[in-house]
Amino acid sequence: MLMRMMGSRILQAAPTLLGVATLVFLLLHLVPGDPVDALLGEMALATDREALRHAMHLDEPLAAQYIHFLGGLLSGNWGQSLMDGRPVLALILERLPATAELAGCSLVLALIFALPLGFWAARHTGRIQDMTAMSFSLFGISIPNFWLGPMLMLIFSVGLGWLPVSGMDQPGSIVLPAITLGTALAAVLSRMARSSWLEAMSTDAIRTGRAMGVSEHILWWRHAARLAAIPVVTMFALQMGAVLGGAVITETVFDWPGLGRLTIEAIQRRDYPLVQGCVLLIAVFYVLANLLADMLAMWLDPRQRKA
Amino acid sequence: MQDTRLFLRRPSVRLALVCLFIPVLLLLAAGLHGADGHQVDLDAVLAGISVVHPLGCDALGRDVLARVAEGLRLSMGVGMAVVVLGAITGITLGIISGWVSGWVDNVLMRLADIVLSFPGILLAIALAAMLGPGVDKLIIALVAVGWVGFARLSRAQVLSLKAAPFVEAAVGCGSGVAYIGWRHLLPNIAAPLLVEASFGLAAVIIGEAGLSFLGVGVQPPDASLGTMIREGTRLMLVSPMLVVWPGLVLFLMVMAVNLLGDALRDILDVRMKSSA
Repeated sequence: MLMRMMGSRILQAAPTLLGVATLVFLLLHLVPGDPVDALLGEMALATDREALRHAMHLDEPLAAQYIHFLGGLLSGNWGQSLMDGRPVLALILERLPATAELAGCSLVLALIFALPLGFWAARHTGRIQDMTAMSFSLFGISIPNFWLGPMLMLIFSVGLGWLPVSGMDQPGSIVLPAITLGTALAAVLSRMARSSWLEAMSTDAIRTGRAMGVSEHILWWRHAARLAAIPVVTMFALQMGAVLGGAVITETVFDWPGLGRLTIEAIQRRDYPLVQGCVLLIAVFYVLANLLADMLAMWLDPRQRKA
Repeated sequence: MQDTRLFLRRPSVRLALVCLFIPVLLLLAAGLHGADGHQVDLDAVLAGISVVHPLGCDALGRDVLARVAEGLRLSMGVGMAVVVLGAITGITLGIISGWVSGWVDNVLMRLADIVLSFPGILLAIALAAMLGPGVDKLIIALVAVGWVGFARLSRAQVLSLKAAPFVEAAVGCGSGVAYIGWRHLLPNIAAPLLVEASFGLAAVIIGEAGLSFLGVGVQPPDASLGTMIREGTRLMLVSPMLVVWPGLVLFLMVMAVNLLGDALRDILDVRMKSSA
């Protein structure tokens, strides 16, 4: 039953991925006027323009371009970067480990911080501890990461000299980018943990346990924690995808040589095939993270299997 | 009147008003000061705080107070425009989708799914980069991402209201879809949409500044809080306050909007529950 539902959910992701690829394909056609003009300028030689048009398959009908694009995606040929002629996929894969390192550290940091905070707020709901924890959460949701990053640099790198300002070569260089990227995640997760724990504690199962004389400690940690984990785990999986969107800004702030920085470099150089490749890969990760979230929820929560 | 008083008494609303104090004060001060944020003064490059320049000057000697105020007005303007346009588009499509059902619903919701398959900021960055510079393009990019929340929410609400007796009565009386949508459905789905709009406004304000920070939004010499933070970051070692002011104002604005959104959600939830 579970395997069948999971298989059906995986199949549902296929049209979404096709839709994502279609939208990424259409992005190039949003460039006002002729993309070749945008790249080479209107003064370029006709032969250069034709060569670029041919290289980008812009001389073919739209349907043929689309089929060519999809075929390329499936065969691993994501096109060539317009600036240095290297394959887009190779450029992306070169930068992926740095982004994975940053995203992984941010997610772990967020989890370590958010779960105890959410529990602490739920345990002391309506009191000063709850207000303090939720104030942090509000702070994390409201502070833009492109300002938090420079502020952390100003305090810990420029002021105190404890950590490097940018790059990823020196020891400790991941600390500030991970905090910057992880703050919003921790804020969202702590809110979710608090509300899930409170909701779990108001269920009939817990009320019954309390009536049977089960200690509060066991109720909170063994029974309610299991119920509260379902939405928290789902949210965490969703954040695994969302963190890549945030990485675009954080990597730019800290000059972190990852996929996000590559996306912005490609935009600045109008390297459209590279922009398409970066956007597509991040979106695919995002779709897969959503898929993982749904599957985890099905696995953890038997009620969803019946739904 | 009593509702307004109850709303104002909430701690989150009071905190929101405190957060709004500094941005509003800056706007008033900039209005009274009357400096031009575009006026380059090479004698005042990176000048510190003074009576003439209350928040100092940037790398081109432009008055920071005037530029922060201009950026704030732009952020709020873009934020309101995106939320209003996104709401109009999303609610209209959501009501149509929920009411008509069938293939129209399928097409619209698959489109929404595709938009939601991208991290919001990434799609906005890609669209803004492809459309080119300009505030109008920035608004289009943010609306293209922002309509989906309104559409899904209004569709879900319409689906639950479709079978309500008052809606069936309106259909029985021969009312058209547009009339039913405007007169009967919209007032009944307004509360959650208002909450969505308030949180959407906070996201759009950050989105506009983020896109401008990355260089795909508002372009120099126009002032946006995002471009000011980017310029300030470059000069952080020489003049740290250049990055502090625009970011602080942005943070306080977003915090205030989020707090008001929280308060609205609590109040409207209570009302919806009590009326259920």
